[in-house]
Amino acid sequence: MLWQQVVNGLTLGSTYALIALGYTLIFGVLNIVNMAHGEIFMFGAFVALMLVTTFKVNLLVAMAGAALAGAVLGYLLEVTALRPLRKRAVSHMAPLISTIGVSIFLESLALNLFGAQSQSFPPMFSGKLLDFGLFQISVIQVVILAISVGLMLVLKFWLDRTKMGKSIRATSENIDTAAILGVNTQRVITITVMLASGLGAVAGVLVGLAFNAVEPTMGIPMGFKGLAVLILGGLGNITGAMVGGLLLGIAEVFSVAYGASSYREAVAFGLIMVLLFLRPQGLFGSPGNGGR
Amino acid sequence: MFVMKNVAKKVMAGLVAAAFMAVAAGCGGSQQSGGTQAGSTAKIGVVTILSGGGAAYGEAIKQGLELARDEINSKGKTKIELVIEDSKGEKNEAINAANKLIHKDNVVGIIGPTLSGDMFAIGPIANQSGVPIMGTSTTAEGITEIGEYVFRNALPESLAIPQAVKKAQQKLGLKKVAIMYSNNNDWAVSSFKTFEQAVKNNGIEVLTIETFADKDTDFSAQLTKIATLKPDAIMVSGLYQEAGLILKKAREMGITVPFVGNNGFNSPQLVKIAGASAEGAIVASPWFPSKDDEKVKKFVTAYKAKYGKEPDQFAAQAYDALYIMADALEKSGSTTDRAKLKNSLKIVKDFQGVTGKFAFDEKRNPAMEVTVLVVKEGNFVELK
Amino acid sequence: MDSLLNPYYLQIVMFVMINAMLGISIYLTLATGQLSLGNAGFMSVGAYTSALLTLKVGVPIFLAVPAGGIAACLLAAVIGVPTTRMQGLYLAIATLGFGEVVRVVALNLKVTNGALGLSGIPSMSVMTGKGLSELGLGSGVGILSAQQLSNIIVIVVLALMLACLVFFALRLSKSRMGRAFAAIKADEQAAEVSGINTTYYKLVAFFMGAFVAGLAGALAAHITFYIGPQDFSYHKAVEILLFAVLGGSNVVWGPLLGSFILTLLPEVLRPVAEFREMIYGAILVIMMTFRPEGLLKEGTIRFLWAKFNWRAKAEDDNSQPEPEGGR
Repeated sequence: MLWQQVVNGLTLGSTYALIALGYTLIFGVLNIVNMAHGEIFMFGAFVALMLVTTFKVNLLVAMAGAALAGAVLGYLLEVTALRPLRKRAVSHMAPLISTIGVSIFLESLALNLFGAQSQSFPPMFSGKLLDFGLFQISVIQVVILAISVGLMLVLKFWLDRTKMGKSIRATSENIDTAAILGVNTQRVITITVMLASGLGAVAGVLVGLAFNAVEPTMGIPMGFKGLAVLILGGLGNITGAMVGGLLLGIAEVFSVAYGASSYREAVAFGLIMVLLFLRPQGLFGSPGNGGR
Repeated sequence: MFVMKNVAKKVMAGLVAAAFMAVAAGCGGSQQSGGTQAGSTAKIGVVTILSGGGAAYGEAIKQGLELARDEINSKGKTKIELVIEDSKGEKNEAINAANKLIHKDNVVGIIGPTLSGDMFAIGPIANQSGVPIMGTSTTAEGITEIGEYVFRNALPESLAIPQAVKKAQQKLGLKKVAIMYSNNNDWAVSSFKTFEQAVKNNGIEVLTIETFADKDTDFSAQLTKIATLKPDAIMVSGLYQEAGLILKKAREMGITVPFVGNNGFNSPQLVKIAGASAEGAIVASPWFPSKDDEKVKKFVTAYKAKYGKEPDQFAAQAYDALYIMADALEKSGSTTDRAKLKNSLKIVKDFQGVTGKFAFDEKRNPAMEVTVLVVKEGNFVELK
Repeated sequence: MDSLLNPYYLQIVMFVMINAMLGISIYLTLATGQLSLGNAGFMSVGAYTSALLTLKVGVPIFLAVPAGGIAACLLAAVIGVPTTRMQGLYLAIATLGFGEVVRVVALNLKVTNGALGLSGIPSMSVMTGKGLSELGLGSGVGILSAQQLSNIIVIVVLALMLACLVFFALRLSKSRMGRAFAAIKADEQAAEVSGINTTYYKLVAFFMGAFVAGLAGALAAHITFYIGPQDFSYHKAVEILLFAVLGGSNVVWGPLLGSFILTLLPEVLRPVAEFREMIYGAILVIMMTFRPEGLLKEGTIRFLWAKFNWRAKAEDDNSQPEPEGGR
């Protein structure tokens, strides 16, 4: 049972990590928490669902479509709720509130567009069980693990090695210096928000596939978990988001397996509180980077 | 200091007045739009969840009510006007909705709210104001003890679950079971308690009790734990959405034992979500869409024609609730007298609805007949 | 006049008062620049304490309500010390997590009755109504029915408490402590260097916020008959934050105005039920675009002051410049 639970925890954790990546990217560059990320995640799942059920495209195309839709939403978010605030010196809470506004708007829009009923992907995608003796794993779990780890690695490589990635990192170091050094920070910010939102949308598809449920309110609890991971791993830290996500997934699953399932949520958040009491800058955050 | 207060008071007073005018204007608009000729029309308020997470259930209730309203109005005796208010599944919103219906729209009676918790908050208000209120999905214990104006036609789980457990034990020879329930849903907790009692009364051993939460999507940890304990059956108390996902995940993990559910299982959505995994799930309920009954068939056809899907239990109970209320109104001889409606509701008996023969008992709870159902080839059929 | 005294409106006024208190509670912690989202948690502690005291022990309401505030304050003492070490977003999320933990604990304890919540909580207006009928006023006074009268009495009591809190918060901002708060908010390190015991003042602000939230929670329990864990979820925490941010968190009047608007808005938008959430969201975005520091700030207050000021004397009272807070 131990190994099975570890696998369960890793699958759950990898979806948390994927969501947290979006938060972390945006936080790293803009120093804000994008509260609408969970709703973009939900829209991604719905777009893929519509593509699969109505237009009968295959899963990969649907996922690409979702990523595209996520990026478009990200662009709209940047233009309507983030850019106007950046133009004037505002309190760091203003973007928090305006993105909460966007999240409320998107959730309600989804309720009106798609209905409150939970929907699921056609059964062809949820699939067979692979038995490894110690544990069983479904094909979809493998796909999720592979895609999320793959995406994280690609993202890390891209940020480390490419010119755009370097610009993003420079901007997240210091936006003014980056601008002086000739980085088009406006463009970098827009691209980061679009990228993060695209990633969020893909995460939505994966979660929708894994747990067979796509519904308008799915963004809140998942977004909340992503937020917790963001803190757990240290703000703006990509490795931290990955490790933090997996850790939270495993911690949640183990609290059910060896503790009482009714305290599941409390254990997850208790972990975060204890960690923050001991290390106020998060797992991977460096002291002084403690957020404003 | 005093100046500040004066200024603030003036500003506040102005804002209050402006806001109230806006409220009044807005509400006035909605009244006009819904109005038919006054006098013969009975205004019935509805408090249900139209936005937020529980909207799926509120929507079914709304559709059931609107279908019933259209049918009743086309028959021509008592005309019904529904004033539907959103509770968002939040207590304060529900309270405001109820107060608006009672004091502003002056409804003769209220149908709803969707959640038992909301009923505990607005039941006392309705009772205090002397407005009959009837819950269609409020199954928790103690609801009708709020007062003599509080009714419900939602089947209390204390009636259905013991029958389901008993029948399942007879047919399947259960000795040890695992129980799962949603611990952040008041109603699921309430029916879990009934499950626990019923299981104990039948001499069945409980191996483990696991919880989950509404809106959860990942149940692998709980099911992995349950699988290692090898129960004869798993009892689940929760709404169909989570129940469907649990069934699906369990079958995927190779758990083959039967599931016994509470009323939350009783929805075509369960089969839609869980697919083939729903096969063999057992639930006790007064309502099932494939029942061989003229009224049920007519209702299912009409509902499908109007909304393009099969009605679930939420819709069916709401549909019956409006008929019951219209019936009582007609017998009370007034479309505005709240006390008369209450007295007339109290003596409802032998009402034939889509959920079977119906009567209120002396505590204003429904007295209905329960059938134990099992999912077979994607349909709920009687377990024989 | 009669229509304004409709119990529907009176109920909304009660909610406005409670929410205004919650707005003050978050204002108090924000005064030191700490963004604490644990107020929903403290509110639930206050609500449960007061409800249980009246339901199980039979304590009268007027004693149980302050006890709720004190219980919240005690809990704040437990988590306060480590919390004051945290800053900014970490603090926000840790306190949000605290609220979630409180909610999950309330879901699991026997005494709180889990998800079923506590029903049949003695209601202030019902109690007042009973008192009135004992006085022989059971059928009301003049044009007022007994229900209206008892509601109005409850509103007056709430208004008095709110006025006390507002008065306290206003005095505070002009006191030594208030200046220390403002200094910490403007620049914590600089405040520390200039000899202000920042930990102490941050703790005090945290306690005061918790106490007021607990008080508001207790009062809320006694005007709604029922409380359950879902009343104090993440959404409540965000709602309380919105009061301060929409109204403006730099002046006491800001959270008051914010709570006023945000309590009435959903009611005003009731006729367009399906779309009101969308409108709500859009308003927040637009607000932040055009007035990110909230509707009210020091300048606005001074402007209103000058405009409505009939007593020149009071100007001296307010002319003392307050530091521009917020980053």
